[in-house]
Amino acid sequence: MVKVLIVDDSIFSQKVSANLIRKYMNNVELTFANNGEEGIERYEEIKPDFIITDLLMPKLSGQELIRSIKAQDKSAKIIVVSADIQKNIREEVEAYNVLAFLNKPLQDEKAQIICNLIRENMNE
Amino acid sequence: MNKSSIRYDILKEVFNISAGKAANLLSEITGKKIILKIPDVTILDRTKSNIELTDYLPIKFSGALMVSTISFKENLAGKANLIFPAEKMKTFIQLCLNEEVYDEDNLSLDFTDIDFDVIREIGNIILNCILGETSNLLDIKLQYSLPEVKVYNQITFTKAIYEKEYQHILVLFITFIIDNTEIEGTIIVDLALQSLNELLRKIDLIEADTYV
Repeated sequence: MVKVLIVDDSIFSQKVSANLIRKYMNNVELTFANNGEEGIERYEEIKPDFIITDLLMPKLSGQELIRSIKAQDKSAKIIVVSADIQKNIREEVEAYNVLAFLNKPLQDEKAQIICNLIRENMNE
Repeated sequence: MNKSSIRYDILKEVFNISAGKAANLLSEITGKKIILKIPDVTILDRTKSNIELTDYLPIKFSGALMVSTISFKENLAGKANLIFPAEKMKTFIQLCLNEEVYDEDNLSLDFTDIDFDVIREIGNIILNCILGETSNLLDIKLQYSLPEVKVYNQITFTKAIYEKEYQHILVLFITFIIDNTEIEGTIIVDLALQSLNELLRKIDLIEADTYV
């Protein structure tokens, strides 16, 4: 069972992500967090195999969440799904060595990219 | 074409491209064609009491408005608003959730937390697209606030648009219709005029590249 933590302050986006990931992957256990701060707590509790995170969130941003997780585990597998399409934000986030940076809205094609990335990186 | 017209033309075109991308995303979300109207750009002086922002809007809203807002700062400061008539929001939410649309049951203005969450997130995606594209085209970094959703009447909305600290605001606006739904929306981006120098500097760079 692959453990995936989804961090997003929108319940709507959490549901969209969950439905699409379940559509393209079996054997996946999803956990949710509503902001970056909760994301760190859930991360430390469950040690997920993959983290899918938004960027603009209350309490602690996605960037701060990624920094904090990468400080604990440089090889943590993080996928960013954000509405922010600014090039410089993408470059800033990609410098943290994330697996992918995708823009919202998440739809079938992007969900398949995520699920393929998870499959490819599962045993690394 | 004089310098001022060229700048105005470039700014309008940058906004047009950004709005086009945002419309494409909205079409992807709702599964409907989005019909864009021609964008416009104007500078308003808050001290002139006879100015009504709603006079500048191509569509005349009569009832309550549902407004998603993102503020931004850093190299430019201002707010971007996605505005819909509140009475159409239940239909809009059903479209976004890919549910069957029942128009006759949809006029209620009793919104649940889930409704607000959907509107906030859709507003976030659309406004991020329009601002992000503008930021990319002009090479200006923006830092966003968390998105907000509020229901206004016309008067409270006009007051909210006029930031007290800004005497002049540069307003970019565009209206659109979601095909076959009678849902008409508007995007308004208002910039503090203190941002205008930075904006004009970037536009002049584009002009210099284009008209060599």
